[in-house]
Amino acid sequence: MKQKISVLMDGELFEDEAASLLDHIKRDSDLHKDWGVYHLIGDVLRQPEHIHCDLSAKVRERLQDEPTVLAPRGRTVKQRMRTIALSAAASLSAVGVVAWMSLQISPEVAPQMAMQQTALRPVGMQTRTNSNDYLIAHQEFSPSTDMNGGASYIRTVSYSRDEAPVKNNPDEK
Amino acid sequence: MAMRLLVVFCGLLLAVVSNVYAEERPVGLDWLEVAAFAGHQTDYSGVFVYHYENRVETSNIIHVTEVNGEYEKLESLDGPKREIIHHDGQVWVYNNHKMVQVGSQQGRSRFPSLLPEQLSALSANYQAKLLGVERVAGYNAQVILFQPKDNLRYTHKIWVHTDSGLLLKDAVLGDKNTVAELYAFTQLQIGGNIDRSWVRECDSVGLHGKGLPRPPETAKDITPTNSGWVADTLPSGFKKTMEIQRPMHHGKHATVTQMVFSDGLSAISIFIEPNDGDEDDVDGLSSRGAVNLYHKVLDKNLITVVGEVPPHTVMQVLDSVRYNGK
Repeated sequence: MKQKISVLMDGELFEDEAASLLDHIKRDSDLHKDWGVYHLIGDVLRQPEHIHCDLSAKVRERLQDEPTVLAPRGRTVKQRMRTIALSAAASLSAVGVVAWMSLQISPEVAPQMAMQQTALRPVGMQTRTNSNDYLIAHQEFSPSTDMNGGASYIRTVSYSRDEAPVKNNPDEK
Repeated sequence: MAMRLLVVFCGLLLAVVSNVYAEERPVGLDWLEVAAFAGHQTDYSGVFVYHYENRVETSNIIHVTEVNGEYEKLESLDGPKREIIHHDGQVWVYNNHKMVQVGSQQGRSRFPSLLPEQLSALSANYQAKLLGVERVAGYNAQVILFQPKDNLRYTHKIWVHTDSGLLLKDAVLGDKNTVAELYAFTQLQIGGNIDRSWVRECDSVGLHGKGLPRPPETAKDITPTNSGWVADTLPSGFKKTMEIQRPMHHGKHATVTQMVFSDGLSAISIFIEPNDGDEDDVDGLSSRGAVNLYHKVLDKNLITVVGEVPPHTVMQVLDSVRYNGK
């Protein structure tokens, strides 16, 4: 492994091998140290006047002494954040406009949204023979009969002509 | 001079303020009372359309008031000939000149039954709004909107003739302002020379030469009762207006208990009867215009809820029906 590192330092390793080796070095602290030492040897061999021992440790120490800076992040990140926020705001306001528009059309739409999920589709009353009895019995005491007079009794007779088609069309059930 | 101006100004201010207070009282209710009264007391004849579920039917109606009460005749103008006679709290239904059904309005007053407590329930559960004047069947009509404050009832929009107070048009609006049902006069004659020949026929030889049979349900068959049945989740403002025992289905079955609840504009009826295993009495929902009906067998009883309320309301009411004991 150490040889591989030296080969890498000489720039004679293939690209894929180099990548995996660098990965190893990053994860293995011993190899990382070796990597540092080899570089130091190289440096000493080339420039014997300036020798620094374990520079990385010193840098780390100095960094720990540095105060934490609570400053805004880089410009690019900030801009991306703003774009996301803006598009979110846009879709929110679109919902707002739709809700507002529906409120303009009919104020009772808002509370009825809950019931739309379970839209009930009652079958026509003609499918039940006894329904009319209940209808007439109910109508007698309904305020709508008071208002419409006999006109509301049209409900009880308006089904006659539908009887035949319903029997022929089971889909309508 | 300045003093006089001040007095005039104060007077104006007072007028404006009192006007504002006057508007706080739901003025729509006055129109409702007027319409209910005029509907009974006015002689009229005309043609109206009934629109529901994308269908339109045209009918002829004649309403006259005689010394012995109101007479009303309804006649379908399209499809098979159907006729309804309405007199003295009784209803006769003819299909192709054959009497098919008889109903009665026993125990119901001949005059408008908009009680003060119903009117207060109405203003508590609906927002009444005047929407200006429109023309219907050639007459000027005040438009009034009754918007429910919850989603358990329908929106009602009525057009009331500004002179006679007759209801000229009536729309029941459901989910997303779709029309659940609509009545509208297309031609109307108020007062004047109205055909009354059929009234005398009714009383003497009878319509279609058969005479008007007395309905099987007479006053003594319908009795007030306290059955002990209750519904726990009626929409707010629905007050019990009556509870009776009555024969139904042409007396074929046992007597039926009927409870009626009303919020002033709509009513919900609950019918309770022993379940006799009739195949027609299957669980389920059906509708006719603004009226929804829901059947369900509960233990040994068949419960039926009928009302001018949305389908989910009749279902909710039925699911809360239980026997509470006497």
